[in-house]
Amino acid sequence: MSETLLEVRQARKHYDDGNIQALDGVDLSIAAGEFITISGPSGSGKSTMLNLLGGLDTPTSGEVLYRGKNIGTEIDLDVYRAMHVGFIFQAFYLLPSLKAIENVQVPWLGGSCGVSSKREETARELLCELGLEHRLQQYPAQLSAGERQRVAIARSLANNPDILLADEPTGNLDSVNTAKIMEILKGIQQRRGMTLIIVTHEDEIANSAPRHIRMRDGRIL
Amino acid sequence: MGIGAFVALVGFSRSFEVGWKKLYEVAGTDIAVIQKTFMNSSVDESDGATLNALPEIAAAEPMVVNMMDITPEVNALVYGWPENAYEFEPLKILQGRRFHGDTQEVMLGDLLAESLNKKAGDTLELQGTTYQVVGVFHGGSALEAGAVILPLEQMQRLSGMDGKVTAFHVRLKPALPGESPEDHMHRAQDAIQKALPGLKAVPAAERASNNQLVILAHAVAWGTSTIALLVAALGIANTMAMSVFERTREIGVLRALGWKRRRVMLLILIEAAGLGLVGGLVGLLVGIGALHLLAAVPQTAGIVSGDSLVAWSTLGEALGISVLVGVLAGIAPAYRGARLSPVEAMRHE
Repeated sequence: MSETLLEVRQARKHYDDGNIQALDGVDLSIAAGEFITISGPSGSGKSTMLNLLGGLDTPTSGEVLYRGKNIGTEIDLDVYRAMHVGFIFQAFYLLPSLKAIENVQVPWLGGSCGVSSKREETARELLCELGLEHRLQQYPAQLSAGERQRVAIARSLANNPDILLADEPTGNLDSVNTAKIMEILKGIQQRRGMTLIIVTHEDEIANSAPRHIRMRDGRIL
Repeated sequence: MGIGAFVALVGFSRSFEVGWKKLYEVAGTDIAVIQKTFMNSSVDESDGATLNALPEIAAAEPMVVNMMDITPEVNALVYGWPENAYEFEPLKILQGRRFHGDTQEVMLGDLLAESLNKKAGDTLELQGTTYQVVGVFHGGSALEAGAVILPLEQMQRLSGMDGKVTAFHVRLKPALPGESPEDHMHRAQDAIQKALPGLKAVPAAERASNNQLVILAHAVAWGTSTIALLVAALGIANTMAMSVFERTREIGVLRALGWKRRRVMLLILIEAAGLGLVGGLVGLLVGIGALHLLAAVPQTAGIVSGDSLVAWSTLGEALGISVLVGVLAGIAPAYRGARLSPVEAMRHE
Protein backbone atom coordinates (compact mmCIF):
# COMPACT_ATOMS: atom_id res chain seq x y z
CA MET A 1 0.00 0.00 0.00
CA SER A 2 1.40 3.37 -1.05
CA GLU A 3 1.62 6.13 1.52
CA THR A 4 -1.23 8.63 1.77
CA LEU A 5 -0.31 11.75 -0.14
CA LEU A 6 -3.46 13.84 0.18
CA GLU A 7 -6.21 13.58 2.74
CA VAL A 8 -9.42 15.57 2.98
CA ARG A 9 -11.12 15.48 6.38
CA GLN A 10 -14.70 16.65 6.87
CA ALA A 11 -14.11 19.49 4.39
CA ARG A 12 -16.93 21.98 4.01
CA LYS A 13 -16.86 24.96 1.67
CA HIS A 14 -19.51 27.67 1.80
CA TYR A 15 -19.90 30.67 -0.45
CA ASP A 16 -22.14 33.72 -0.25
CA ASP A 17 -22.24 33.80 3.58
CA GLY A 18 -23.21 30.14 3.75
CA ASN A 19 -26.05 30.37 1.24
CA ILE A 20 -24.15 28.18 -1.23
CA GLN A 21 -22.70 24.95 0.09
CA ALA A 22 -20.15 23.69 -2.45
CA LEU A 23 -18.74 20.90 -0.28
CA ASP A 24 -20.62 19.29 2.57
CA GLY A 25 -18.34 17.37 4.92
CA VAL A 26 -16.21 15.45 2.43
CA ASP A 27 -13.64 12.81 3.40
CA LEU A 28 -11.14 11.55 0.85
CA SER A 29 -7.76 9.88 0.91
CA ILE A 30 -5.43 9.75 -2.10
CA ALA A 31 -2.28 7.65 -2.25
CA ALA A 32 0.97 8.76 -3.85
CA GLY A 33 1.13 7.80 -7.54
CA GLU A 34 -2.62 7.23 -7.81
CA PHE A 35 -4.65 8.16 -10.93
CA ILE A 36 -8.11 9.40 -10.00
CA THR A 37 -10.97 10.96 -11.92
CA ILE A 38 -13.69 13.05 -10.31
CA SER A 39 -16.97 13.50 -12.15
CA GLY A 40 -20.39 14.87 -11.42
CA PRO A 41 -22.94 17.33 -12.71
CA SER A 42 -22.42 21.09 -12.62
CA GLY A 43 -22.52 22.36 -9.04
CA SER A 44 -21.65 18.96 -7.60
CA GLY A 45 -18.50 20.39 -5.97
CA LYS A 46 -15.89 18.64 -8.12
CA SER A 47 -14.03 21.84 -9.10
CA THR A 48 -14.17 23.07 -5.51
CA MET A 49 -12.65 19.76 -4.45
CA LEU A 50 -9.88 20.23 -7.04
CA ASN A 51 -9.24 23.77 -5.78
CA LEU A 52 -8.84 22.50 -2.22
CA LEU A 53 -6.54 19.67 -3.29
CA GLY A 54 -4.45 22.11 -5.32
CA GLY A 55 -4.15 24.73 -2.58
CA LEU A 56 -6.00 27.31 -4.65
CA ASP A 57 -8.55 27.63 -1.87
CA THR A 58 -9.02 26.58 1.75
CA PRO A 59 -12.06 24.85 3.28
CA THR A 60 -14.54 26.82 5.39
CA SER A 61 -14.18 24.01 7.94
CA GLY A 62 -12.36 20.72 8.01
CA GLU A 63 -8.86 20.28 6.66
CA VAL A 64 -6.78 19.18 3.69
CA LEU A 65 -3.49 17.45 4.46
CA TYR A 66 -0.43 16.92 2.27
CA ARG A 67 1.77 14.14 3.65
CA GLY A 68 0.01 14.67 6.98
CA LYS A 69 0.53 18.43 7.10
CA ASN A 70 -2.30 20.92 6.93
CA ILE A 71 -2.26 22.92 3.68
CA GLY A 72 -2.70 26.56 4.58
CA THR A 73 -1.57 26.39 8.21
CA GLU A 74 1.41 24.06 8.29
CA ILE A 75 2.34 24.48 4.63
CA ASP A 76 2.14 27.86 2.91
CA LEU A 77 -0.35 27.74 0.04
CA ASP A 78 1.99 29.52 -2.40
CA VAL A 79 4.87 27.20 -1.54
CA TYR A 80 2.60 24.15 -1.84
CA ARG A 81 1.39 25.19 -5.29
CA ALA A 82 4.86 26.15 -6.45
CA MET A 83 6.62 22.99 -5.31
CA HIS A 84 4.12 20.14 -5.28
CA VAL A 85 1.28 20.86 -7.73
CA GLY A 86 0.99 21.23 -11.48
CA PHE A 87 -2.27 22.63 -12.88
CA ILE A 88 -3.86 21.98 -16.26
CA PHE A 89 -6.94 24.02 -17.15
CA GLN A 90 -9.72 23.52 -19.65
CA ALA A 91 -9.01 26.91 -21.28
CA PHE A 92 -5.20 26.33 -21.22
CA TYR A 93 -4.54 29.84 -19.80
CA LEU A 94 -1.29 30.35 -21.67
CA LEU A 95 0.07 33.91 -21.68
CA PRO A 96 -0.63 35.19 -25.20
CA SER A 97 2.40 37.50 -25.31
CA LEU A 98 4.88 34.69 -24.61
CA LYS A 99 6.19 32.00 -26.96
CA ALA A 100 5.59 28.33 -26.16
CA ILE A 101 9.06 27.88 -24.68
CA GLU A 102 8.61 31.02 -22.56
CA ASN A 103 5.18 29.97 -21.31
CA VAL A 104 6.68 26.74 -19.96
CA GLN A 105 9.17 28.79 -17.92
CA VAL A 106 6.52 30.98 -16.24
CA PRO A 107 6.24 28.86 -13.03
CA TRP A 108 9.98 29.26 -12.40
CA LEU A 109 9.70 33.03 -12.56
CA GLY A 110 7.35 33.06 -9.57
CA GLY A 111 10.09 32.14 -7.12
CA SER A 112 13.82 31.95 -7.38
CA CYS A 113 14.45 32.39 -11.07
CA GLY A 114 17.42 30.06 -11.42
CA VAL A 115 19.81 30.19 -14.33
CA SER A 116 18.10 31.36 -17.50
CA SER A 117 19.92 28.94 -19.84
CA LYS A 118 19.12 25.96 -17.60
CA ARG A 119 15.45 26.97 -17.45
CA GLU A 120 15.26 27.22 -21.19
CA GLU A 121 16.96 23.87 -21.67
CA THR A 122 14.51 22.15 -19.32
CA ALA A 123 11.53 23.85 -21.01
CA ARG A 124 12.84 22.66 -24.39
CA GLU A 125 13.14 19.09 -23.07
CA LEU A 126 9.57 19.16 -21.71
CA LEU A 127 8.14 20.45 -24.99
CA CYS A 128 10.14 17.85 -26.94
CA GLU A 129 8.82 15.14 -24.61
CA LEU A 130 5.31 16.26 -25.64
CA GLY A 131 6.14 16.28 -29.35
CA LEU A 132 6.32 20.05 -29.75
CA GLU A 133 9.98 20.38 -30.73
CA HIS A 134 8.92 22.19 -33.94
CA ARG A 135 6.63 24.66 -32.11
CA LEU A 136 8.99 26.09 -29.47
CA GLN A 137 9.05 29.61 -30.85
CA GLN A 138 5.34 29.87 -31.68
CA TYR A 139 2.91 32.08 -29.79
CA PRO A 140 -0.29 30.48 -28.39
CA ALA A 141 -2.38 32.08 -31.13
CA GLN A 142 -0.26 30.24 -33.72
CA LEU A 143 -0.91 26.84 -32.13
CA SER A 144 -3.86 24.44 -32.48
CA ALA A 145 -6.02 23.73 -29.42
CA GLY A 146 -4.33 20.36 -28.90
CA GLU A 147 -0.87 21.94 -29.13
CA ARG A 148 -1.85 24.65 -26.66
CA GLN A 149 -2.95 22.04 -24.17
CA ARG A 150 0.32 20.19 -24.65
CA VAL A 151 2.22 23.43 -23.91
CA ALA A 152 0.05 23.84 -20.79
CA ILE A 153 0.91 20.26 -19.76
CA ALA A 154 4.61 21.00 -20.24
CA ARG A 155 4.16 24.12 -18.07
CA SER A 156 2.45 22.06 -15.36
CA LEU A 157 5.51 19.79 -15.25
CA ALA A 158 8.03 22.63 -15.07
CA ASN A 159 8.48 22.51 -11.30
CA ASN A 160 8.61 18.70 -11.32
CA PRO A 161 5.52 18.41 -9.06
CA ASP A 162 4.32 15.19 -7.46
CA ILE A 163 0.63 16.02 -8.04
CA LEU A 164 -0.93 16.86 -11.40
CA LEU A 165 -4.42 18.39 -11.25
CA ALA A 166 -6.39 18.74 -14.46
CA ASP A 167 -9.73 20.56 -14.59
CA GLU A 168 -11.62 19.37 -17.70
CA PRO A 169 -8.35 19.14 -19.66
CA THR A 170 -10.10 17.93 -22.81
CA GLY A 171 -13.17 20.14 -22.55
CA ASN A 172 -12.06 22.34 -25.45
CA LEU A 173 -10.69 19.57 -27.66
CA ASP A 174 -12.04 17.33 -30.41
CA SER A 175 -12.08 13.55 -30.01
CA VAL A 176 -8.71 13.01 -31.72
CA ASN A 177 -6.96 15.53 -29.51
CA THR A 178 -8.86 14.29 -26.45
CA ALA A 179 -7.46 10.81 -26.98
CA LYS A 180 -3.98 12.21 -27.57
CA ILE A 181 -4.02 14.38 -24.41
CA MET A 182 -5.34 11.51 -22.27
CA GLU A 183 -2.62 9.25 -23.63
CA ILE A 184 -0.02 11.88 -22.77
CA LEU A 185 -1.37 12.43 -19.25
CA LYS A 186 -1.51 8.71 -18.49
CA GLY A 187 2.00 8.26 -19.90
CA ILE A 188 3.36 11.06 -17.73
CA GLN A 189 1.62 9.65 -14.65
CA GLN A 190 3.09 6.21 -15.23
CA ARG A 191 6.60 7.31 -16.21
CA ARG A 192 6.97 9.81 -13.40
CA GLY A 193 4.90 8.01 -10.78
CA MET A 194 2.91 11.17 -10.20
CA THR A 195 -0.51 11.49 -8.60
CA LEU A 196 -2.93 12.46 -11.37
CA ILE A 197 -6.37 13.85 -10.53
CA ILE A 198 -8.67 14.74 -13.39
CA VAL A 199 -12.03 16.49 -13.06
CA THR A 200 -14.25 15.68 -16.02
CA HIS A 201 -17.78 15.61 -17.38
CA GLU A 202 -16.99 12.89 -19.85
CA ASP A 203 -17.84 9.33 -18.78
CA GLU A 204 -15.23 7.76 -21.06
CA ILE A 205 -12.44 9.76 -19.39
CA ALA A 206 -13.96 9.27 -15.93
CA ASN A 207 -14.00 5.51 -16.43
CA SER A 208 -10.46 5.38 -17.79
CA ALA A 209 -8.92 5.77 -14.32
CA PRO A 210 -8.38 2.93 -11.84
CA ARG A 211 -10.30 5.00 -9.28
CA HIS A 212 -13.35 7.04 -10.18
CA ILE A 213 -15.06 9.34 -7.69
CA ARG A 214 -18.58 10.59 -8.36
CA MET A 215 -19.89 13.71 -6.64
CA ARG A 216 -23.31 15.28 -6.22
CA ASP A 217 -24.52 18.19 -4.07
CA GLY A 218 -21.13 18.61 -2.47
CA ARG A 219 -20.79 15.00 -1.41
CA ILE A 220 -18.94 11.94 -2.65
CA LEU A 221 -21.40 9.26 -3.69
CA MET B 1 3.50 65.69 -19.87
CA GLY B 2 4.36 65.97 -16.17
CA ILE B 3 8.00 65.16 -16.90
CA GLY B 4 7.92 67.47 -19.93
CA ALA B 5 6.69 70.27 -17.67
CA PHE B 6 9.33 69.37 -15.09
CA VAL B 7 12.20 69.44 -17.60
CA ALA B 8 10.99 72.64 -19.23
CA LEU B 9 10.26 74.52 -16.00
CA VAL B 10 13.20 73.31 -13.92
CA GLY B 11 15.49 73.67 -16.95
CA PHE B 12 14.16 77.20 -17.40
CA SER B 13 14.80 78.14 -13.77
CA ARG B 14 18.27 76.49 -13.78
CA SER B 15 19.14 78.28 -16.99
CA PHE B 16 18.21 81.48 -15.18
CA GLU B 17 20.55 80.51 -12.31
CA VAL B 18 23.37 79.62 -14.73
CA GLY B 19 22.89 83.02 -16.36
CA TRP B 20 23.41 84.75 -13.01
CA LYS B 21 26.53 82.72 -12.28
CA LYS B 22 27.99 83.54 -15.66
CA LEU B 23 27.17 87.19 -15.18
CA TYR B 24 29.25 87.31 -11.99
CA GLU B 25 32.06 85.17 -13.44
CA VAL B 26 32.46 87.22 -16.60
CA ALA B 27 32.51 90.52 -14.66
CA GLY B 28 34.97 89.13 -12.13
CA THR B 29 32.66 89.74 -9.17
CA ASP B 30 33.73 87.73 -6.13
CA ILE B 31 31.21 88.80 -3.51
CA ALA B 32 27.77 90.38 -3.39
CA VAL B 33 27.03 92.48 -0.33
CA ILE B 34 23.34 92.42 0.55
CA GLN B 35 20.98 92.90 3.44
CA LYS B 36 20.60 90.04 5.89
CA THR B 37 16.84 89.93 5.52
CA PHE B 38 15.14 87.54 3.12
CA MET B 39 13.92 90.36 0.88
CA ASN B 40 17.44 91.75 0.70
CA SER B 41 16.76 94.39 -1.86
CA SER B 42 17.73 97.63 -0.19
CA VAL B 43 21.18 98.63 1.07
CA ASP B 44 22.38 102.16 1.88
CA GLU B 45 24.46 103.46 -1.00
CA SER B 46 26.67 105.26 1.50
CA ASP B 47 28.01 101.89 2.74
CA GLY B 48 30.04 101.78 -0.46
CA ALA B 49 32.62 104.13 1.03
CA THR B 50 33.17 101.77 3.98
CA LEU B 51 33.54 98.80 1.65
CA ASN B 52 36.00 100.53 -0.65
CA ALA B 53 38.12 101.49 2.37
CA LEU B 54 38.65 97.84 3.36
CA PRO B 55 42.13 96.50 2.50
CA GLU B 56 40.72 93.22 1.16
CA ILE B 57 38.60 94.96 -1.49
CA ALA B 58 39.79 96.09 -4.91
CA ALA B 59 36.44 97.57 -5.92
CA ALA B 60 32.93 97.66 -4.47
CA GLU B 61 30.26 98.88 -6.83
CA PRO B 62 26.67 99.72 -6.08
CA MET B 63 23.99 98.31 -8.36
CA VAL B 64 20.23 98.24 -8.61
CA VAL B 65 18.45 95.48 -10.49
CA ASN B 66 14.79 94.95 -11.21
CA MET B 67 12.54 93.17 -13.67
CA MET B 68 10.51 95.67 -15.70
CA ASP B 69 7.94 95.66 -18.49
CA ILE B 70 9.63 97.08 -21.57
CA THR B 71 6.61 96.50 -23.79
CA PRO B 72 3.35 94.71 -22.93
CA GLU B 73 4.95 91.51 -24.32
CA VAL B 74 8.59 91.88 -23.28
CA ASN B 75 9.98 91.89 -19.73
CA ALA B 76 13.66 92.49 -19.14
CA LEU B 77 16.15 92.75 -16.34
CA VAL B 78 17.07 96.41 -15.88
CA TYR B 79 20.39 97.23 -14.21
CA GLY B 80 21.50 100.52 -12.77
CA TRP B 81 25.30 100.79 -12.78
CA PRO B 82 27.70 103.65 -12.05
CA GLU B 83 29.21 105.17 -15.18
CA ASN B 84 32.62 103.67 -14.41
CA ALA B 85 31.50 100.24 -13.17
CA TYR B 86 34.07 97.48 -13.65
CA GLU B 87 31.22 95.31 -14.94
CA PHE B 88 31.39 97.24 -18.24
CA GLU B 89 34.78 95.65 -18.93
CA PRO B 90 33.60 92.35 -20.45
CA LEU B 91 30.82 94.01 -22.45
CA LYS B 92 31.47 94.44 -26.14
CA ILE B 93 29.93 97.62 -27.55
CA LEU B 94 28.37 96.68 -30.90
CA GLN B 95 26.79 100.05 -31.66
CA GLY B 96 27.17 103.56 -30.20
CA ARG B 97 28.83 104.09 -26.82
CA ARG B 98 28.43 103.80 -23.05
CA PHE B 99 26.10 106.22 -21.23
CA HIS B 100 27.59 109.29 -19.53
CA GLY B 101 26.82 110.23 -15.92
CA ASP B 102 23.33 110.86 -14.64
CA THR B 103 21.69 111.26 -18.04
CA GLN B 104 18.53 109.79 -19.52
CA GLU B 105 20.53 107.31 -21.55
CA VAL B 106 20.33 103.51 -21.72
CA MET B 107 22.26 100.68 -23.29
CA LEU B 108 20.53 97.57 -24.62
CA GLY B 109 21.74 94.00 -24.80
CA ASP B 110 21.95 92.79 -28.39
CA LEU B 111 19.19 90.20 -27.98
CA LEU B 112 16.80 92.73 -26.47
CA ALA B 113 17.69 95.36 -29.09
CA GLU B 114 16.90 92.83 -31.80
CA SER B 115 13.58 91.77 -30.31
CA LEU B 116 12.57 95.43 -29.75
CA ASN B 117 13.97 96.39 -33.15
CA LYS B 118 15.96 99.23 -31.54
CA LYS B 119 19.37 100.59 -32.39
CA ALA B 120 21.65 103.31 -31.08
CA GLY B 121 19.95 106.67 -31.55
CA ASP B 122 16.41 105.36 -30.96
CA THR B 123 14.40 106.07 -27.83
CA LEU B 124 13.02 103.68 -25.23
CA GLU B 125 10.28 104.32 -22.69
CA LEU B 126 10.78 102.90 -19.21
CA GLN B 127 8.08 103.35 -16.56
CA GLY B 128 6.79 106.48 -18.31
CA THR B 129 10.24 108.09 -18.78
CA THR B 130 11.79 108.37 -22.22
CA TYR B 131 15.44 107.37 -22.57
CA GLN B 132 17.78 107.60 -25.48
CA VAL B 133 19.39 104.34 -26.57
CA VAL B 134 23.07 105.30 -26.77
CA GLY B 135 24.58 101.84 -27.25
CA VAL B 136 23.97 98.20 -27.99
CA PHE B 137 26.27 95.66 -26.36
CA HIS B 138 26.98 91.95 -26.33
CA GLY B 139 27.33 90.47 -22.84
CA GLY B 140 28.83 87.25 -21.65
CA SER B 141 25.58 86.03 -20.14
CA ALA B 142 22.10 85.54 -21.58
CA LEU B 143 20.82 87.76 -18.77
CA GLU B 144 22.92 90.66 -20.07
CA ALA B 145 22.07 89.94 -23.70
CA GLY B 146 18.43 90.53 -22.84
CA ALA B 147 18.99 93.38 -20.38
CA VAL B 148 18.84 97.16 -20.16
CA ILE B 149 21.62 99.08 -18.42
CA LEU B 150 21.16 102.67 -17.36
CA PRO B 151 22.89 105.09 -14.98
CA LEU B 152 22.59 104.10 -11.33
CA GLU B 153 20.94 107.37 -10.32
CA GLN B 154 18.31 107.04 -13.07
CA MET B 155 17.55 103.49 -11.98
CA GLN B 156 17.27 104.56 -8.32
CA ARG B 157 14.72 107.19 -9.34
CA LEU B 158 12.80 104.71 -11.51
CA SER B 159 12.70 102.22 -8.64
CA GLY B 160 11.99 104.76 -5.87
CA MET B 161 15.30 103.82 -4.22
CA ASP B 162 17.01 107.18 -3.78
CA GLY B 163 20.17 106.65 -1.72
CA LYS B 164 19.60 102.88 -1.76
CA VAL B 165 20.96 100.06 -3.89
CA THR B 166 20.08 96.41 -4.35
CA ALA B 167 23.59 95.20 -3.58
CA PHE B 168 27.26 95.98 -3.85
CA HIS B 169 29.30 93.84 -6.21
CA VAL B 170 32.80 93.37 -4.90
CA ARG B 171 36.06 92.44 -6.55
CA LEU B 172 38.66 91.26 -4.09
CA LYS B 173 42.35 91.99 -4.09
CA PRO B 174 44.51 88.92 -4.83
CA ALA B 175 44.89 86.29 -2.10
CA LEU B 176 47.89 86.45 0.23
CA PRO B 177 50.82 84.18 -0.65
CA GLY B 178 49.94 80.61 0.37
CA GLU B 179 46.33 81.53 1.16
CA SER B 180 43.71 79.09 -0.16
CA PRO B 181 40.78 80.47 -2.18
CA GLU B 182 38.44 79.44 0.65
CA ASP B 183 40.48 81.23 3.30
CA HIS B 184 40.75 84.25 1.03
CA MET B 185 36.96 84.35 0.65
CA HIS B 186 36.32 83.83 4.38
CA ARG B 187 38.78 86.56 5.32
CA ALA B 188 37.06 89.04 3.00
CA GLN B 189 33.57 88.01 4.16
CA ASP B 190 34.57 88.43 7.81
CA ALA B 191 36.10 91.84 7.14
CA ILE B 192 33.00 93.09 5.30
CA GLN B 193 30.55 91.79 7.89
CA LYS B 194 32.65 93.22 10.71
CA ALA B 195 32.75 96.63 9.04
CA LEU B 196 29.04 96.58 8.17
CA PRO B 197 27.29 94.40 10.77
CA GLY B 198 23.84 94.82 9.22
CA LEU B 199 24.94 93.38 5.90
CA LYS B 200 25.89 89.98 4.56
CA ALA B 201 28.82 89.22 2.24
CA VAL B 202 27.78 86.35 -0.01
CA PRO B 203 30.16 84.60 -2.45
CA ALA B 204 29.03 85.38 -5.99
CA ALA B 205 28.27 81.77 -6.90
CA GLU B 206 26.09 81.41 -3.81
CA ARG B 207 24.36 84.69 -4.52
CA ALA B 208 23.59 83.48 -8.06
CA SER B 209 21.78 80.48 -6.62
CA ASN B 210 20.09 82.28 -3.75
CA ASN B 211 18.88 85.59 -5.07
CA GLN B 212 15.17 86.20 -4.85
CA LEU B 213 14.50 85.95 -8.58
CA VAL B 214 16.26 82.58 -8.86
CA ILE B 215 14.59 81.27 -5.70
CA LEU B 216 11.21 82.41 -7.01
CA ALA B 217 11.89 80.83 -10.41
CA HIS B 218 12.89 77.53 -8.75
CA ALA B 219 9.86 77.61 -6.47
CA VAL B 220 7.45 78.26 -9.34
CA ALA B 221 9.16 75.57 -11.45
CA TRP B 222 9.01 72.93 -8.72
CA GLY B 223 5.49 73.90 -7.62
CA THR B 224 4.06 73.74 -11.12
CA SER B 225 6.02 70.59 -11.91
CA THR B 226 4.79 68.90 -8.74
CA ILE B 227 1.18 69.56 -9.75
CA ALA B 228 1.89 68.24 -13.25
CA LEU B 229 3.60 65.17 -11.76
CA LEU B 230 0.62 64.52 -9.48
CA VAL B 231 -1.64 64.57 -12.52
CA ALA B 232 0.81 62.21 -14.27
CA ALA B 233 0.79 59.91 -11.22
CA LEU B 234 -3.02 59.76 -11.33
CA GLY B 235 -2.78 58.86 -15.03
CA ILE B 236 -0.31 56.04 -14.34
CA ALA B 237 -2.36 54.79 -11.37
CA ASN B 238 -5.45 54.71 -13.58
CA THR B 239 -3.56 52.92 -16.37
CA MET B 240 -2.17 50.33 -13.96
CA ALA B 241 -5.57 49.84 -12.28
CA MET B 242 -7.09 49.19 -15.71
CA SER B 243 -4.20 46.88 -16.59
CA VAL B 244 -4.64 44.87 -13.39
CA PHE B 245 -8.40 44.69 -13.97
CA GLU B 246 -8.00 43.53 -17.56
CA ARG B 247 -5.36 40.98 -16.56
CA THR B 248 -7.16 39.65 -13.49
CA ARG B 249 -7.39 36.16 -14.97
CA GLU B 250 -3.71 36.21 -15.95
CA ILE B 251 -2.80 37.18 -12.39
CA GLY B 252 -4.98 34.30 -11.14
CA VAL B 253 -3.10 31.88 -13.42
CA LEU B 254 0.26 33.15 -12.19
CA ARG B 255 -0.89 32.70 -8.59
CA ALA B 256 -2.13 29.18 -9.43
CA LEU B 257 1.27 28.39 -10.92
CA GLY B 258 2.87 29.21 -7.60
CA TRP B 259 3.72 32.88 -7.94
CA LYS B 260 3.84 34.45 -4.51
CA ARG B 261 1.87 37.61 -3.75
CA ARG B 262 5.03 39.69 -3.48
CA ARG B 263 6.21 38.40 -6.89
CA VAL B 264 2.92 39.46 -8.49
CA MET B 265 3.20 42.82 -6.73
CA LEU B 266 6.77 43.21 -7.98
CA LEU B 267 5.70 42.39 -11.55
CA ILE B 268 3.02 45.11 -11.48
CA LEU B 269 5.39 47.62 -9.85
CA ILE B 270 8.07 46.90 -12.47
CA GLU B 271 5.51 47.49 -15.19
CA ALA B 272 4.43 50.74 -13.52
CA ALA B 273 8.07 51.82 -13.24
CA GLY B 274 8.57 50.93 -16.92
CA LEU B 275 5.51 52.97 -17.81
CA GLY B 276 6.92 55.87 -15.81
CA LEU B 277 10.32 55.49 -17.49
CA VAL B 278 8.88 55.47 -21.01
CA GLY B 279 6.66 58.42 -20.12
CA GLY B 280 9.72 60.11 -18.65
CA LEU B 281 11.77 59.63 -21.81
CA VAL B 282 8.96 61.06 -23.94
CA GLY B 283 8.60 63.88 -21.41
CA LEU B 284 12.33 64.61 -21.66
CA LEU B 285 12.05 65.09 -25.40
CA VAL B 286 8.99 67.30 -24.97
CA GLY B 287 10.71 69.33 -22.22
CA ILE B 288 13.94 69.79 -24.17
CA GLY B 289 11.92 70.85 -27.20
CA ALA B 290 10.00 73.35 -25.08
CA LEU B 291 13.25 74.81 -23.72
CA HIS B 292 14.66 75.23 -27.21
CA LEU B 293 11.45 77.02 -28.09
CA LEU B 294 11.79 79.29 -25.03
CA ALA B 295 15.39 80.06 -26.00
CA ALA B 296 14.19 81.16 -29.43
CA VAL B 297 11.17 83.25 -28.34
CA PRO B 298 12.11 86.92 -27.75
CA GLN B 299 10.03 87.16 -24.55
CA THR B 300 12.17 84.52 -22.83
CA ALA B 301 15.37 84.38 -24.85
CA GLY B 302 16.99 86.83 -22.44
CA ILE B 303 16.62 84.34 -19.60
CA VAL B 304 17.08 80.97 -21.30
CA SER B 305 20.50 80.61 -22.81
CA GLY B 306 20.99 78.17 -25.66
CA ASP B 307 24.29 76.89 -24.27
CA SER B 308 22.99 75.91 -20.84
CA LEU B 309 19.58 74.47 -21.62
CA VAL B 310 19.33 71.21 -19.73
CA ALA B 311 21.89 69.92 -17.25
CA TRP B 312 22.56 66.17 -17.11
CA SER B 313 21.54 66.34 -13.46
CA THR B 314 18.12 67.68 -14.49
CA LEU B 315 17.70 64.84 -17.00
CA GLY B 316 18.72 62.34 -14.34
CA GLU B 317 16.35 63.88 -11.82
CA ALA B 318 13.53 63.85 -14.38
CA LEU B 319 14.02 60.16 -15.18
CA GLY B 320 14.39 59.29 -11.50
CA ILE B 321 11.22 61.18 -10.66
CA SER B 322 9.31 59.58 -13.55
CA VAL B 323 10.27 56.07 -12.38
CA LEU B 324 9.46 56.98 -8.76
CA VAL B 325 6.08 58.43 -9.77
CA GLY B 326 5.40 55.23 -11.74
CA VAL B 327 6.26 53.03 -8.76
CA LEU B 328 4.23 55.13 -6.30
CA ALA B 329 1.27 55.19 -8.67
CA GLY B 330 1.56 51.43 -9.12
CA ILE B 331 1.47 50.55 -5.41
CA ALA B 332 -2.33 50.51 -5.01
CA PRO B 333 -3.00 48.51 -8.22
CA ALA B 334 -0.13 46.14 -7.35
CA TYR B 335 -1.52 45.60 -3.85
CA ARG B 336 -4.96 44.89 -5.28
CA GLY B 337 -3.52 42.48 -7.87
CA ALA B 338 -1.46 40.64 -5.27
CA ARG B 339 -4.46 40.24 -2.94
CA LEU B 340 -6.61 38.56 -5.58
CA SER B 341 -7.71 35.02 -4.79
CA PRO B 342 -6.45 32.71 -7.57
CA VAL B 343 -9.85 31.02 -7.88
CA GLU B 344 -11.81 34.27 -8.12
CA ALA B 345 -9.22 35.79 -10.44
CA MET B 346 -9.40 32.86 -12.85
CA ARG B 347 -13.21 33.13 -12.93
CA HIS B 348 -12.90 36.77 -14.02
CA GLU B 349 -14.30 37.37 -17.52
